[in-house]
Amino acid sequence: MAKVFIYPTTSLILSDLVARFGHQPLSAALQIREKIQTPGLESPPLQITPEDPKKGLKYAAVEVPSGVRGRMSLYGPMIEEAQAAVIIHDADFSFGCMGCARTNELIQFLLRKREIPILDLRYPRTDEEGIEFVAAIRKFLQEIPGDGS
Amino acid sequence: MSRVRIAQLSCGPEYSGVQNEIAKAAQSVDAEVFFPDITLKDIRSGFDLFGLDVRSPDLKLAIARARALVEGTIEADAVFIATCFRCAEAAIVRNELRRYIHENSRLPVVSYSFTERTTAGTLLTRMEALTTIARRRALLAREVQEGLTLGVDSGSSTTKAIVMQDDQIIGTGWLPTTGVLKSAEDVIDLALNEAGVAREQIQAVGTTGYGRFLVGEKIGADLIQEELTVNSKGAVYLADSQRGSSTVIDIGGMDNKAISVQDGIPGTFTMGGICAGASGRFLEMTAKRLGVDITELGPLAMKGMSTMVPMNSYCIVFGTQSLVNALAAGSSPEDVAAAACHSVAEQVFEQQLQEVDIKEPVIMVGGTSLIQGLVRAMGDLLQTEIVVPPHSQYIGAVGSALLSSGFIKDR
Amino acid sequence: MKEYIPRFVGTVTKYVFVESPDMTPADLAIRAYEISQGVMIKETCFGLQITGRPEEVDAIITRLRTFDPSHIFVKDRGFPPGDPRRCRANLGGARPGYYGHEFEISLIRHISRGIEELSQRGADAPVHPPVYSGPAGLDARRLQEIIESQES
Repeated sequence: MAKVFIYPTTSLILSDLVARFGHQPLSAALQIREKIQTPGLESPPLQITPEDPKKGLKYAAVEVPSGVRGRMSLYGPMIEEAQAAVIIHDADFSFGCMGCARTNELIQFLLRKREIPILDLRYPRTDEEGIEFVAAIRKFLQEIPGDGS
Repeated sequence: MSRVRIAQLSCGPEYSGVQNEIAKAAQSVDAEVFFPDITLKDIRSGFDLFGLDVRSPDLKLAIARARALVEGTIEADAVFIATCFRCAEAAIVRNELRRYIHENSRLPVVSYSFTERTTAGTLLTRMEALTTIARRRALLAREVQEGLTLGVDSGSSTTKAIVMQDDQIIGTGWLPTTGVLKSAEDVIDLALNEAGVAREQIQAVGTTGYGRFLVGEKIGADLIQEELTVNSKGAVYLADSQRGSSTVIDIGGMDNKAISVQDGIPGTFTMGGICAGASGRFLEMTAKRLGVDITELGPLAMKGMSTMVPMNSYCIVFGTQSLVNALAAGSSPEDVAAAACHSVAEQVFEQQLQEVDIKEPVIMVGGTSLIQGLVRAMGDLLQTEIVVPPHSQYIGAVGSALLSSGFIKDR
Repeated sequence: MKEYIPRFVGTVTKYVFVESPDMTPADLAIRAYEISQGVMIKETCFGLQITGRPEEVDAIITRLRTFDPSHIFVKDRGFPPGDPRRCRANLGGARPGYYGHEFEISLIRHISRGIEELSQRGADAPVHPPVYSGPAGLDARRLQEIIESQES
C-alpha cells in the first residue's frame, strides 16, 4: 500500500478511487483529524493556532501570507511522505483547505520537486471521459512502487 | 437587544489561527460573525457576474457571498472583510468588495488584513464600530446637541473634555495623558470651570478613546463608544457637513483613522498604521529635535519646502535619523519640519486612504489637524482643500457630548 | 486561550456518499444499522457518516460497498458528526468543503460509469484520460475560414 497525495486534498472522488484500488489517500481530513484530536489550546474551528503558520515557515518564507503558511503546515508533511500523487487540475470549486491559489501552486511545485510518480488529470465531463479517468487511475496506482492491490 | 449579525467575507483566517480571535472580538461587543449561506450555483453566477477573475476559490466564495448580501438574499447588519496580510490577490478583492458593498448597500463594512499575530484586542474597536453603526443608527442620526452634557476623550497621547449646552461648546479641557483616570478628572475640572457649571448639573456624559471603558465606568457615563463613530459624528457636526458624504482623517498619537462618512454615519473605515513613523508621535519627536514646541511645528513647516529633504521612512527610528542627517547636512529647520509633515501625510495616504473612498469635503480632526504643515501636505496629496473645523482637537469629546444628549430623557 | 480537550480521540469518521438509481441514503442507512455493531452511524441527505475505531469503520464500509459498488463513494472526515465547529446552524452557512462535494457529486455519474466499465477492460490496456490543457485555442484553419467569410 502506497501513500498517495490527492489534489484537491478534499476530493471525494480521488479519496474513494485511491482507497478502492488498495492505497492510502493522503487527504486534508487526516491532518484536520489529527489537529482536532490533539489536546492543546482552543482555536476553533480547525484547531489551527497562530503557532501553525510559524511551523509553515519550513515551506514558505516569512513574507508569504499567514494563510499560505498555515495551510502548508498541514500539507508540507503530507507532501514529504507521499510516494505518488494524483492531481486534478481544474479543481476550481474546492474551498477551505484548497481555497488559496498560492498555496495550491506551491503544493504542486513541491510535489514535482520530489520526483515521485504523478498522474495529471482533469475532471471528466462525459461518460467516455469518466471511463478513461477511472481506468487511468487504476493503471497508475498499479504501476507505482509499493503496489499493494 | 438582539445580537448584531456580522457577515464575514474572508480568505485565510482559519488557516492563520485567527478565526477564533475574530469571533471573540465580535462576541465581546454582543455580535456574532456568520458565513452567508449560498449554493454552488450562486457561487458560479455571483463570481462570473462580478467580473473579477481571481484564482483562489475562497476569494471567489467571498465575492459570491458579497453579491448575495448586496442583493439582499442574505440578511446581515454589517460586513467584515478579512484576508491575509501581504496577499496581493486578496488585497484587490478586499478593496473591490469593500467599495462594491459600500456603493450598493447601506451595510457598514470594514476590511482588515491579518497576520497570525492578530488578536481579538486589535479587532475590538473595529467590531465595536460596526455594531454601533448597526445598532445605534437612531442615536447616530442626532444632529443637534441638547441640554447640558459632558464629553470625554481619553486618548493615548492626550485627554480632552468638552462641556456643551444647547448646541454650543461652553467649556474645554485638554491635557497630556499621564494617568488615564487622573488626566480625565483634571480635564473634566478644566472644562467645568471654563463653562462655569458644577458636575451635578451635567445631564448626560459620554466617553470615547482608548480609556473609554475605564473612565466611563468611573464617572458613570451614559454612553461609552469607540472613537470611529464618535469622531465621525463630531467631525461632520463641527464642519457643518452633517448631510451627504465626507471623509474624516484623524492622525492620532498611536493610530490613524480614515473614515468615509455618509449622512454622519461611517460607511467604511480603516484604522491603524504600520509604524509610529506615520503618526502624531513622529511629529512630536521632530518638534523636540528641532527644539520647538509642537504648536510651532506647523507654522515652521509652512515656511519650508518638503522636497528639499529626503525623508520617506516608514519607521520612526529611521525617520528621526533622516531628519538628524538633514540638519547635519545644512538643511533648514523649516524644510525639515515640512519634510516630516509630508512624510506622515504620504504614509497615511499610501497605507490607509487607499482603503476608503475619498469624497469631499475632507475633514481633518484631532490634535495633529492643528499642525498646518501636515494639513497642507495632506491637501497637496489629495489635491483638495482640507477642512479643519473649529475645536478640531476636541473631536472625540465633542462627538461624545453631542451623542450623549440622546440619553438625557433616560435619566 | 482556553485549554482544548478533544473528544472522540482514536476514532475515525468517514463520509459514505450514495448516488444511485437503486439505493437512497435511507436505504443505505438501514443496511448500515443492521451491521453497525455499536459503531456510530449518522444519516445525512447524501448518505452516511460513520464514526468508530478505524478497523470497525473499515469493516462496515467494505460490507456497504458490496451493496452497490459503483455508486457508493467514501472519504475521510476530520470532524466527528454534528461537531458545532462545522455545523451549518452555527456557521450561518455551509462549511467550505460542502461546495466541493456538491461540485464532485454533480459529475460523479461519470465515475460510476468508469467503475462499471473496469471489468470490461484489461488492467494493462492503454488509457486516454482527460488532461488539462488550459483554455482551448482556435484552430488556425478555422480562423482563416472565419476571416475569409467576413471578407467575402
